[in-house]
Amino acid sequence: MFFVQTNDDLDLIERFQNGETSAFGEIVLKYQDKIYNLCRHMLGNAHNAEDAAQDVFLKAYQALPKFQPDASLYTWLYRIATNTCIDYKRKPIFESLFGDSGEGERLVHDLASDAPSPEKLYQSKQIDQALQVCLGKLSPKLRAIIVLKEVEELSYEEIAETLDISMGTVKSRIARAREDLQKCMKKYQGTKSGFVRLNREETE
Amino acid sequence: MSCPKSILISAYLDEELPGSDRAALEAHVQGCAQCGAALQDMRSLRAAFANRSRHQAPYGFATRVMAKTAELDKKKAPWFVPLFIRFAEAAVLLIVITVGILAGTVMTNGSAATKTTNIASSLSLDLFDANPPGSLGGAYLAMTEVRNEK
Repeated sequence: MFFVQTNDDLDLIERFQNGETSAFGEIVLKYQDKIYNLCRHMLGNAHNAEDAAQDVFLKAYQALPKFQPDASLYTWLYRIATNTCIDYKRKPIFESLFGDSGEGERLVHDLASDAPSPEKLYQSKQIDQALQVCLGKLSPKLRAIIVLKEVEELSYEEIAETLDISMGTVKSRIARAREDLQKCMKKYQGTKSGFVRLNREETE
Repeated sequence: MSCPKSILISAYLDEELPGSDRAALEAHVQGCAQCGAALQDMRSLRAAFANRSRHQAPYGFATRVMAKTAELDKKKAPWFVPLFIRFAEAAVLLIVITVGILAGTVMTNGSAATKTTNIASSLSLDLFDANPPGSLGGAYLAMTEVRNEK
């Protein structure tokens, strides 16, 4: 086991299993940002991410009475989250790009505070949007694994435990996800009309 | 060393290669433009991910989740439970009323056997005789009857 079960988590699980419902509220508060961020990168827009993240916690609420504390709560929640996002019925891609303002969600990284030049900001935004579209083009399993690696920065062992797959599978899937993303990104990088072309293809 | 597969370059980037493989790959990449470019592409992709903002759950997220768990708890109770509770309430009420009546009756009238005897004697028509049994007149008549027989 690579995720260590913290005493805090053990205490919360025990309290919940002894009938103290408020302990689950503490679990939600503790892990809501991690789970939401994972769903946000997996699904591409705020609305779907919140919907999926709520599903994750409701599934956890129903399963927690039988949860064995020898498994890590963190790994367990991540597993529920990746499976929920893999199975989630996505909205059309154009909604995730233009139809979603992300209203209400909070960003940790504030671009304005770094004061980049408008060109860099524009470039960064273009790359970010291209990455989001290319992530959407990946199969859900490849998307899950690259998000766990690049966004959540988990090790191969942690990913293997979370997704319940072998280390070899983790290694090969990550390499394949990178290859597919690079091909997709290169296809549109450096051309001003590239992103427009990409969206036109999506709606066709 | 011939050009390694992308899976090895990818694992190298993630620092997941064992020491010996890592050193060999590092040496190869430094002298091979193609593998060097492949590694650079992976680093660029990593930079694109790193530039993305981390998102935090929206305000009120936990409250909304807890409200939904409360709804789940309500649905979890079987349909007959509310009905059963109503019946149980009615039964308890009935028992309390019955016990109250019985207790009141026993305390005011004594035992049921005595009550039955009292009722039978109060219904007897002997009460309306000229000399009812047990009265002084009745005792006198009984004595005179005995004397006449002698």
